[in-house]
Amino acid sequence: MADNKKVLVIGGGFSGLTAAVETAEAGIDVVMVEKTPFLGGRVTQLNKYFPKLCPPNCGLEINFKRIKNNAGITFHTLAEVEKISGQEGNYDVTVKVNPRFVNDKCVGCNACAEACPVEIPNEFNFGMDKTKAAYITHNQAFPFKYAIDGRYCKGASCAKCAEACKYDAIDLNMKPETISLNVSSVVLATGWDSYDVSKLDNLGGGKIANVITNMMMERLASPNGPTSGKILRPSDGKPVQSIAFVQCAGSRDENHLPYCSYICCMASMKQATYLREQYPDSTARIFYIDLRTPGRYEQFYWKVKDDPKVSFTKGKVAKITEDPETKDVIVEAEDIQLGKKIKAKFDMVVLAAGMVPSTKASKIPGDITYTADGFVASSSLNKGIYAVGTLKSPVDVSRSVQDATGAAIKSIQSVRRSK
Amino acid sequence: MPEQIMTQVISPDLNFVKDIIASGGESLKKCYQCSTCTVVCNVTPDDQPFPRKEMMYAQWGMKDRLVSNPDIWLCHQCSDCTAYCPRGAKPGEVLGAVRKISIQHYSPTPLAKMAGDPKYLLILFAIPVLLFLAYIVPKGYLDFSAIPRGEDGGIVYSKFMPVFPQIDVTFGAAAFFAALCFAAGITRYWADMSKGAKTQGGNIIGSIKETVMEILTHKRFEKCNVTKERKTSHLLVFYAFAGLAITTTLAIVYLYGFKYESPYPLYDPLKILGNISAVALLFGITFVVNNRLKNADKAGKGSYFDWLFIMVIYAIALTGIFAELFRLADMAVLAYPTYFAHLVFVFFLFAYAPFSKMAHMVYRATAMVFARHTNRES
Repeated sequence: MADNKKVLVIGGGFSGLTAAVETAEAGIDVVMVEKTPFLGGRVTQLNKYFPKLCPPNCGLEINFKRIKNNAGITFHTLAEVEKISGQEGNYDVTVKVNPRFVNDKCVGCNACAEACPVEIPNEFNFGMDKTKAAYITHNQAFPFKYAIDGRYCKGASCAKCAEACKYDAIDLNMKPETISLNVSSVVLATGWDSYDVSKLDNLGGGKIANVITNMMMERLASPNGPTSGKILRPSDGKPVQSIAFVQCAGSRDENHLPYCSYICCMASMKQATYLREQYPDSTARIFYIDLRTPGRYEQFYWKVKDDPKVSFTKGKVAKITEDPETKDVIVEAEDIQLGKKIKAKFDMVVLAAGMVPSTKASKIPGDITYTADGFVASSSLNKGIYAVGTLKSPVDVSRSVQDATGAAIKSIQSVRRSK
Repeated sequence: MPEQIMTQVISPDLNFVKDIIASGGESLKKCYQCSTCTVVCNVTPDDQPFPRKEMMYAQWGMKDRLVSNPDIWLCHQCSDCTAYCPRGAKPGEVLGAVRKISIQHYSPTPLAKMAGDPKYLLILFAIPVLLFLAYIVPKGYLDFSAIPRGEDGGIVYSKFMPVFPQIDVTFGAAAFFAALCFAAGITRYWADMSKGAKTQGGNIIGSIKETVMEILTHKRFEKCNVTKERKTSHLLVFYAFAGLAITTTLAIVYLYGFKYESPYPLYDPLKILGNISAVALLFGITFVVNNRLKNADKAGKGSYFDWLFIMVIYAIALTGIFAELFRLADMAVLAYPTYFAHLVFVFFLFAYAPFSKMAHMVYRATAMVFARHTNRES
């Protein structure tokens, strides 16, 4: 079993990338599988991220480089694990690799996307704009190789992209493949999804045009987002002058997510600065139950609080409606410090939607137990299987990285034990 | 700019907290003051809204602020707050428990404690049972064949239990006792509310008129979401009681005005009104129970205090209807015991009204008048 010195990393986000490069740089071969066509995960969708508030490329770029330079790392995009069986030192894994319809000859020239007649909702931007069935998410995507979305592509009967491609990079006849692996240990790093705000019926249930989620706000503020970084509201493209942040949109609520999602208070404060930096006269108001600023993040809160145009109101927003004429958003809360029920109007409202472990929607195959909240119960995982970051509890990027580094060490130990 | 800090010493009444917990408000400590409840509540005023502040007072054992607060009765327990509460703290149920304690607080006799505690239930029932048995047993009426019949040979309840003095004096006394207790209760409640009110002196007659109109139309129930159907069921019970009250008044007029004794023929207007009201009461209270069971997940399961009241009304409707049916069918074995039970349940409702949930109509109406009077509500 020459193969069993490998480590499998499931998930190509920041946690998975970290676990993969740290393991591989210690001399252990790594196979990484990623469900989407590109690596980088949620961080690629952010405008800026904590703690340094730099764009996603700082941090991701270096990791992509480490992958490229390391022959010990193999990665498969559009790949999903179908089966895991065995024990530490000898896990048999079946991976299904879905067709990208684009091969390695792609140079990223965009000719296929220009030729493609099929417009699809841009999932990378949470449906706020359209893209083509032949697409790349953004100009720093890795691998920098277009993908064709098989759910929408009309296939060989259209083939306009293949005609347009000068590099013979498009193969519309690609079929799904199944790969079998034997690995010593498995790192689970499949990350998180935003809580589905359509379940929050009193907060508009996702039906009010100018009520968006915090992740959508990241895309709106991001230079490679649907508005090229201008914070414009969805209904009419008006620059947003007044914004409200609704904390705990789903979190700390036993009807939705009973736990605190850890990042949302910081995310909203950060996003308030996006708006304030862009429009000097704009105002932001953050409605909260308690502001949670873990550890040193408290200092960021002080900074945001010093801005007189950012205000904080203690009281959870429990009703959101729309002014049918102006499409302004009406937010209702009790200002607890005043003891008054208030209605306030804003250009746009951001729901600080909570974190849901990705395993809530799609379980990882194999013998994995979950907590009541849907997180991976890491203490009851089989030997040689390690869960990382937001699969175990809501955490920020830096904690995920620390956790992933720890998981790398544990995987290396698994490999050593099984020699 | 230095802020002025107000200090306030709070001496928590821990027994009050325990009492709320024991009275169906066991979830109160789960509240973390997010105020979702206040925002989803459609019946609260915007200034100093409820029920968030009441949840805080309850957790802190601030009994004085709660029992004399008109807001606890402005709440109609729509349970929208309970359905949306992120912590399962059930503000609707907690306020229900606070209302029960407020009723007990303003009711001057030990019966108040007994009406809210299941361990005294037997004693409460024993009082009317013994009262009525005291007449029947010496007469030898436990043997039903010994009970005199009417001229046509049919069952006549007034020969089993004479209208005067047994029925009228007993119930007259019970009603008088209840009225006295209510008068004492609302006088103290009004005085306590006045101490806490910021403004005084609206038009009291106007406030009463508006409150009566609102009660007659049940307008406020329309603002509830989770328990929307409750308007119909409560309205039915309310008007059924009104119908039965008119029936009783008419019966008094018949008897003492015209010497016209029961039983009355089925075509008599009094009988028609009485029967329609009885059926309306049965339907209404059945809707009440159904709604409560259906909404239990969102609105909470209700307390002993609530359910005792509902069950007594249920029993009154059922025993009343069956007493009439058995009488018409001449089934003495069933008729007399059913009628006896009916008397016991009616006594229970009347005599204990100031201590049971029945008191809600008096205290809520008082609080609604007060809120209008002091411009808390308009």
